[in-house]
Amino acid sequence: MKATIATEWLSGCSGCHVAVVDLHEKLLGLLENVEFVRIPVLMDEKDYPEADIGIVEGAVRSEHDRVALKKMRSKVKTLIAFGTCAVYGGPSGIGWLHESSDVMNCAYRSGPTNSGTESPDMNAVPLEECVVPIDEVVPVDIYLPGCPPHPYFIAAAIKAVLDPCAPRITGKPVCSDCTRKMRKSENITLKRGELTAEDQEICFLSQGVVCLGSVTLNRCLAPCPKRGTACSGCAGPSLDIVNEPQLDIRTLVAKRMNMLTGIDTTDVTSYIEQNAKTFYAYALASPAIYKKPTVEIMEWTGETTKLN
Amino acid sequence: MITISIDEKACVSCSLCVDICPTKVFSFNSVKDLPEVALPKECFGCLSCSEICPSDAIQHTGAALSSCFHHDTYCTNIVSKLAVSEPASFEDIASATGLDEAMRDISVRLLSVGTVLKDVVGAGLPSVGLMAGRSLATQLPRYRPPKNLEEAFELAIKEFAPAWGLEFKQDSDNLKVCVKECFVRGLCKQENISLGGELCVLFFNYLSGYLGKMSKTQLKLVTAERSAESCSYEVKIMHR
Ligand code: SF4
Ligand code: SF4
Ligand code: SF4
Ligand code: SF4
Ligand code: SF4
Repeated sequence: MKATIATEWLSGCSGCHVAVVDLHEKLLGLLENVEFVRIPVLMDEKDYPEADIGIVEGAVRSEHDRVALKKMRSKVKTLIAFGTCAVYGGPSGIGWLHESSDVMNCAYRSGPTNSGTESPDMNAVPLEECVVPIDEVVPVDIYLPGCPPHPYFIAAAIKAVLDPCAPRITGKPVCSDCTRKMRKSENITLKRGELTAEDQEICFLSQGVVCLGSVTLNRCLAPCPKRGTACSGCAGPSLDIVNEPQLDIRTLVAKRMNMLTGIDTTDVTSYIEQNAKTFYAYALASPAIYKKPTVEIMEWTGETTKLN
Repeated sequence: MITISIDEKACVSCSLCVDICPTKVFSFNSVKDLPEVALPKECFGCLSCSEICPSDAIQHTGAALSSCFHHDTYCTNIVSKLAVSEPASFEDIASATGLDEAMRDISVRLLSVGTVLKDVVGAGLPSVGLMAGRSLATQLPRYRPPKNLEEAFELAIKEFAPAWGLEFKQDSDNLKVCVKECFVRGLCKQENISLGGELCVLFFNYLSGYLGKMSKTQLKLVTAERSAESCSYEVKIMHR
């Protein structure tokens, strides 16, 4: 009998669902073993049928998300937190730094491209006060971060659920799949605001550009550095950072950059802190990041906590 | 004996492992553009190389795992469920490093701190607990303070776990705080320390100070009792 899969999207961008469809031929191979009983991007099924595997995209942002997620959990045997939003909150985690009324106000009224005076509060599902990863609401069985995860890892993760003997997937950072070489370099200064660098063979860090490849879990096969752009960390933190409270994104990048180029570590850490909303964009809402004793995102971004 | 292997496919040839190793275990082979394990016997398992390696390419077998003490169960749970090969579970690490023994060790020290504090500050002991709790409430990393008492309870349960298992039952201004798990209790029983001993007074006031600060109320102890499974306190909520 085929295993059944049900999927649901919460507050995400639907990119993760597109990635499932992006499995192409792999999807056909997979379809020999599985059957989709609910997948909003392909079929019109509003109910929550029972399924062996549940795939949930997106973070919990609204009351609807919470209700839909609980329904999914009650109907599926194995729940996969699918994509960085579901695992760590993703880009909408930035909502942690603002009141949801401010978010609504900016999106619908005061934003630079808005002229409207009304917010859609009459008929829309209300936002919750905070954005949380799905494991803050229901227990999760498998975490598959990635924004979105590369189809290679999606297929591997689903196989790993169906067959306990299937090969496990890598726990290494993006650098392990990057084709650039990390070299020592001299007379290099920190290039603020740069996402790319001249030499396509050499690591960005060696050229003074902050790349988050070494502090990000590889769930993408390193497309960005391979094609000329520094990694922005979209798959969420590397396993050492998740596991070890004393390790953090900014300090590890700074230490490596310092050893390669001699650039002062405080230059790098303060640059990252000043741009914390960018460099911490993907896992801001996860206790794995904000509970770190050295991570003070509120302070770095100038948002003040109301606790006194 | 520690053995070291390098995943040559993952390696990005940075040679940071060569630079960082305090005992010069690695040398860099510039022909192959890869590091080599030149002096394996010199490795004493500090794992500095593994930490600095940008692509997690260095594996050690036989090196001691770092202490689990500082690990957060929320994070180790994520790591254990990433479909990654052979994840080390929190329980594995705990049993390998003697977490229970360490907890006991801390309890003993806490008990003596309690006794000394009592001798020094006497009747001021509850205030010490209260102030420590209030200070805790402002120092734990979190983005947003709880909006009301219920939210404060929810947060307290999370923030005090797993060393303490708390339960709150509120009936208008009366609150029952049930301490179901307490990592010092085993020792209290063994050493015949009564409920209301120094440590209990300190802990309860600590908790009250913390909850009060977060919910902008004041909590006043009415009664306390201990059963075989738990300790509980009746509290009056005074709104400020
Ligand atoms: S993880 Fe990325 S691709 Fe997936 S829903 Fe979130 S933002 Fe979209
Ligand atoms: S830091 Fe970036 S550019 Fe350098 S090796 Fe890692 S992924 Fe590639
Ligand atoms: S930003 Fe980094 S983690 Fe995201 S796809 Fe690019 S290389 Fe991968
Ligand atoms: S663990 Fe420490 S001593 Fe051993 S090779 Fe790595 S850096 Fe050197
Ligand atoms: S630190 Fe890692 S990536 Fe760098 S040379 Fe050593 S093994 Fe290779």
